[in-house]
Amino acid sequence: MKQIRSRIGGCILFILSALLTVGIRVIFPACPAHDDGSFMTCHWAGQAVFGAGIALTVISCTVLIAGNGKTAAGASLAIVPLAAVTALMPDIIIPLCRMPMMRCRTAMHPAVSVISGIIAAAALVNAIVILRKRKSADET
Amino acid sequence: MKLNESLSFRNVKGRPARSLALIILTALMTAAVIAGSVSVTSLKTGLNALEARLGADIMVVPASAASKKNFENIVLQGSMGYFYMDRSYYDKVAEREGIEKISAQLFLASASSGCCSVPLQIIGYDPETDFTVSPWIRKSAGREPGLLDVVVGNDLSVFVGDTITFYNVECSVIAKLDKTGTDLDTAVYANTETVKKLIAASIELGMNDFTDIDPDRSVSCILIKVADGYTVDEVLNDLNLHVRRTKSFRTKDMISGVSDSLAGVSGIIGVLMCAVWALGLIIMFIAFTISVNERKKEFAVLRVTGASRKKISHTVTAEALIITLAGGIAGIAVGLLTILPWSGIIEESLGLPFLLPDAPLIAALCAGAVLVSALSGAAASAYSAHRISGADAGLILRGDN
Repeated sequence: MKQIRSRIGGCILFILSALLTVGIRVIFPACPAHDDGSFMTCHWAGQAVFGAGIALTVISCTVLIAGNGKTAAGASLAIVPLAAVTALMPDIIIPLCRMPMMRCRTAMHPAVSVISGIIAAAALVNAIVILRKRKSADET
Repeated sequence: MKLNESLSFRNVKGRPARSLALIILTALMTAAVIAGSVSVTSLKTGLNALEARLGADIMVVPASAASKKNFENIVLQGSMGYFYMDRSYYDKVAEREGIEKISAQLFLASASSGCCSVPLQIIGYDPETDFTVSPWIRKSAGREPGLLDVVVGNDLSVFVGDTITFYNVECSVIAKLDKTGTDLDTAVYANTETVKKLIAASIELGMNDFTDIDPDRSVSCILIKVADGYTVDEVLNDLNLHVRRTKSFRTKDMISGVSDSLAGVSGIIGVLMCAVWALGLIIMFIAFTISVNERKKEFAVLRVTGASRKKISHTVTAEALIITLAGGIAGIAVGLLTILPWSGIIEESLGLPFLLPDAPLIAALCAGAVLVSALSGAAASAYSAHRISGADAGLILRGDN
């Protein structure tokens, strides 16, 4: 039971990161290519998010495997800035289409911002919980 | 006494699984309330903005246009589409009695706005006679648009001073309008001369076909304000009777379609919200009753050691308040995250004016939702608190229920 509890944080992070990685390709992808095969800038924002999503999934996997150790806390802390940057990728770092009703604006942008924001918050909370647990364990 | 030292807080903390389940339940209830109330308010705000933008009593369109599938959305909400009639109909309508103001609009769908290849609805109006969009445009631009000047809807990512290209014709953006929550937010307004120039450019590029209609003598719809001393019905019947091959509509009747859909959607949301709350309240009531029943002996010990009935009652109610407040705040976050970022998709899927209310109103709705969830928690625990504080401690400790 204790083992499962210590891995809940890692499990949540892994599920969310995997959702972001798969979602950006399947559920909330960027706008499709033009008829001539050229892409709009939102496509590259989607590609960047996909890359960052893979990195987040790998680090979340480390958190999941490491459980309650210092490695898990460190990996969780590493997720925070990466997830924050991922949330900023669509529109702020890489511009999206200008029309508000385009798929990249109605679906991709909010989905990436919300999921990445939750990942960043969850990773921060997980790191704090692990570090506090370790501190109280060290004291006793 | 600090909150984290209080008996109620320690009771909540001491049973994490039960507390977490109740917090999640309250969070879901609050999320349902906040998401529902923000949606309903957004729909109402959208309808108000649409009503405010429409200043005409009657709209006259070609009879053939009235059978178009999304005809009402084209004339009311700026959805993509166009139809034309000869300007002679404008003159015929203007000759009828009971008309105080009359103005024509000319619609054109662009092939590309120079961004993302998405067409826009271009609405041409006559600044000299217009009485519907001019006040809004003057408010935003400070002046009427000249030749090749355009005023853009709020959702277009172009800014004042930018240029926007339609059919290879460059137009200057002189203002951006306030948001309406409809397709008007992605429409472009220009004077009739500009639109005629764009129509000519589109014909030159072979992208438009006006068949037997002369673009220079075309109008898409005629807007009418009825003069004092006449009723809208009188003028409407007169126009439908005497100006053939056109169809006249009362704008309020057209909005009533949107308004009816809005009432339907709001009603469904309201029923769902009530159902979630009723179920949630029943579950919370049962959960608090079971929880207090389980701990009867704990409370009896407290009574025996000197805690007053009031103290016992307060402890139970405070537990409920802590749980519902925590759940309420979490629910606000969940509810706002399910509505605010997705307003574009919601607007698109509902096909109704959807305009998010301003921040102070959203904050007031959030505060209301937290208050309602806290009061529900207090109400759900009130029965248990009353029962346990009134029970005989001696009987409970002897095991006699």
